[in-house]
Amino acid sequence: MKSILEKVKAGETGTIVMGNHQRILQSMLDFDFLSGKSEPSTLAIITGNRKAQKCFWGKKEILIPCYAKVNQVPPEIASKVRWMLNVQSGRRAYETAVQFFDAFPDALGGTIFAENVPEKHATELIARYGSTKLLSGPASVGILVPRHLKVCAIGGISPAQIDEGMLTTEGSIAVVSTSGGMTNELIHGVAQSGKGVSFALAIGGDRFPVASLSQVLAIVEADPGSKALAYFGELGGEDEYEIVELLKTKKFTKPVIAYIAGVIDEAFDEHMQFGHAKALVAKKDESARTKREALRAAGAVAPDTFPEFLEAFKKTEGKDIVAPMSTADDLSGRRESILSTREIIDFEHAPTYVEKGKLVPRKQSFTSQVLTALLGRAPKSETTIAFADAVFSLLIDHGGAVSGAVNTMVTARAGKDMVSSLVSGLLTIGPRFGGAINDAARTWLTGTTSGMSAKEYVETETKAGRLILGIGHKKYRVGIPDPRVAALAQFATLLKSHPRYDFAREIEEVTTAKSGSLILNVDGITAALFTDILIECEGFTETEVRELIDAEFFNALFVIPRSVGFISHFLEQKQNDEGLFRLPEDLLFTRKQGE
Amino acid sequence: MPRVKLTEYQAKRILLKDAYNGVHAESGMTPTIGDGKFVIKVDQGIKKRMKRGLVALNAVERDMPSHMNEWGKQGFSSFLIEPMLPHDASEERYISFERVRDGIRVLHAKEGGIEIEEHPEKVESFLIRNADDVKTVAEATGIPADFFDAVLNAFNEQYFAFLELNPLVVQNGKAIPLDAAALVDSAAQFFVNGWNTGDVVKSAAKHDAEAAVETLAATTPASLKLNVINPNGSLFFLLSGGGGSIVIADEAELRGVGKEIGNYGEYSGGPTREETYLYAKEVVKLMLASNAKKKALVIAGGVANFTDVKATFGGIIDALTETGDALRKGNVQVFIRRGGPNEKEGLALMRAFLEEQKILGSVHGSDAVITSAVDDAIDYLS
Repeated sequence: MKSILEKVKAGETGTIVMGNHQRILQSMLDFDFLSGKSEPSTLAIITGNRKAQKCFWGKKEILIPCYAKVNQVPPEIASKVRWMLNVQSGRRAYETAVQFFDAFPDALGGTIFAENVPEKHATELIARYGSTKLLSGPASVGILVPRHLKVCAIGGISPAQIDEGMLTTEGSIAVVSTSGGMTNELIHGVAQSGKGVSFALAIGGDRFPVASLSQVLAIVEADPGSKALAYFGELGGEDEYEIVELLKTKKFTKPVIAYIAGVIDEAFDEHMQFGHAKALVAKKDESARTKREALRAAGAVAPDTFPEFLEAFKKTEGKDIVAPMSTADDLSGRRESILSTREIIDFEHAPTYVEKGKLVPRKQSFTSQVLTALLGRAPKSETTIAFADAVFSLLIDHGGAVSGAVNTMVTARAGKDMVSSLVSGLLTIGPRFGGAINDAARTWLTGTTSGMSAKEYVETETKAGRLILGIGHKKYRVGIPDPRVAALAQFATLLKSHPRYDFAREIEEVTTAKSGSLILNVDGITAALFTDILIECEGFTETEVRELIDAEFFNALFVIPRSVGFISHFLEQKQNDEGLFRLPEDLLFTRKQGE
Repeated sequence: MPRVKLTEYQAKRILLKDAYNGVHAESGMTPTIGDGKFVIKVDQGIKKRMKRGLVALNAVERDMPSHMNEWGKQGFSSFLIEPMLPHDASEERYISFERVRDGIRVLHAKEGGIEIEEHPEKVESFLIRNADDVKTVAEATGIPADFFDAVLNAFNEQYFAFLELNPLVVQNGKAIPLDAAALVDSAAQFFVNGWNTGDVVKSAAKHDAEAAVETLAATTPASLKLNVINPNGSLFFLLSGGGGSIVIADEAELRGVGKEIGNYGEYSGGPTREETYLYAKEVVKLMLASNAKKKALVIAGGVANFTDVKATFGGIIDALTETGDALRKGNVQVFIRRGGPNEKEGLALMRAFLEEQKILGSVHGSDAVITSAVDDAIDYLS
């Protein structure tokens, strides 16, 4: 079986961020970019209120997808997830870590960044993941495998620090400390010694870190790239006796270079609280000097001064590494945009319309270009274009009696301009008129994946007091079919399968049994067939369709053609100009005041 | 600090619920406790109360004010009054619970009141990892099972870190804790309903600067700590990072000037410029108050992971600017060693400022060893 570092080096680095910490996230992307990766290890962020987080990939801006919950991460991303960066607060770290490992059982580990995680939560995490995952923290600045993986702030957050710490080059000294700051100081010192870091992990200064020193040392022992261990410890706690024990029992056989800080405690009559939560001497044998001596007795190098400690790195057997040419400057001068967009129309390759006095045969129809603009990619299938063309044609108008057309005409008659009149019509579009396509698409997509039968689905919705959008018409009913629905239905025969359309028809069967007017309407069939077509003919995934629904794409299929209809009604009213429209009094039913 | 002392009163209320008949009193209060014999004691997380005379046994109601006045003169203000429980010494036990890495460690001894570190042979140790263990340990200790269960439930639900009942009287199949000492996990306050910060033992009076920093630290996710060591020292520290700060303080001890250290503390975890300013202001004030003839301020730390050097140095400069004249008059020089995000910009800003103010000692970046600044400072002082 591959060791955890072998897996990382083989590319198992996909990371999900729980919570959002922009600067740390950017440093992980810069690390990947400067390490020469083709794409970021960070796959997604779990955070509310947004669908994407803008970051730099090199000098270019990219969007990292965001999801409100772990179970919303689409399967194509979920299958790649191996690591968690948890930057949630101490209060939420436990529950979000559990959510993560429940959703991604194949994950290898991660980091909990927060301080103030309750002790009980930490011991629960140890019981759940202590022996199966590599989970650093609470209060850890992260895990680093140079050139391959950087989870959290470890090694620094600016491109210059990535350079100076030689984080993109595999070195030969493993760095371990409970202290986050000293982990980085050691990474820096190891880089300056010319040996470079093979693996680094900040255990975290809390009382109960999930990844224990023994677990981390076992990883270092198993890693052929790690030729020595650089360790920084403090007075207080018994971690160093764990190392002594591992050395004595030969479970750890590599050279240990350790610095144990805290002789300053000897200057005072009473023990004081220094540094981290653990750094309070409770018993005599937890003093810095005693721990140093115990380490020395077990064969470790444990100098008295920090400069001697740094000097000792140079004597380890790993080869000196040559740092790559500084690349961090490539990332200088980045400036964040405040709004991002994509190119809708390509003007650089404007087509030729007339050649040698003759019209050039048209390559792309208007409908096809509208679809390219709306979907962000050119439609692949003629079926898609033809269906959209049919929808656009059929929905231009449905007579002057419908509410949107009435509003447009009334506004035009009041002497208003084209845009005002059009807008008064458009503003009428909503759940009862023309604006149901999008929600109908959501109904069909959700319904087909719910595992419920049409009957169960209808019952659930009815019980919850919800209307099923895409079903029902004021005018048409069983026996008086909507000619537009019949026309669009023909497209079903062009598809290999059409589960959303089938589901819509099954729903219709259930609802028409209750009332003949509860037929599949034009919104409903448009939503069903367009969803089926996007998936079968255009290769959209269900997730992508859901994203279109979340962005209200499907309502555009009504708004676009009907705008033409409204403008037509406006033009006609202006041409005829019958003066201000007023409802005849006898058509109004006026109740007396107080009635 | 995550583990904080709960008052004995509140600990017992959590453990015994409505059955608890103790009364809490603050200085100046004279609660009516009625007839009978009582035990009156100081409830401020003090160890060895009996030896220090902070417990009165077999007291009656009218004795109460004089005891409380007497202890008030020694600086105590929080008291607990409970009815005396007649019992035989042989009914006393020792029991403690502590949250450890793999569960809850229970220490038990059939004799109460013992100094546990001095009598390891009398103490049995158990580890509770799950519900089955609870039953086994209750049986092994002979502590009534319903009491044992209730204590463990409370321990878990109220996020205790440590609880010592000594002595615990077991009498006619009933367990009654006479004394209780409890530590709860301050990080868990959001998750509990049994206690809040008001139930935490108030620590002894602090130096003004320490109190100010403690107040500041309570309102930021960053870490800010300050201890006043020698108010008339000559070596003052503005250190960053828990580990790095000890290395730097160690260097002073190794070079034989440990006693000259005026303060110890650190800022880390990405404080803002404003937070750093308020923290630095306290240290500068301390330093100026020292009567040493020559003083050095060491602003140093490791290579930060994500604390912005430029932003935090900006805050320190704001604090030093306010006292420029006093710093020069006090023969203060400032010594720097720092690395991290925006290191170059931060160091350049600091160097220019210190030169202009004529208080420049030395400025080092991440290419110099972490102890460079403190070494320069010690050279300056000697």
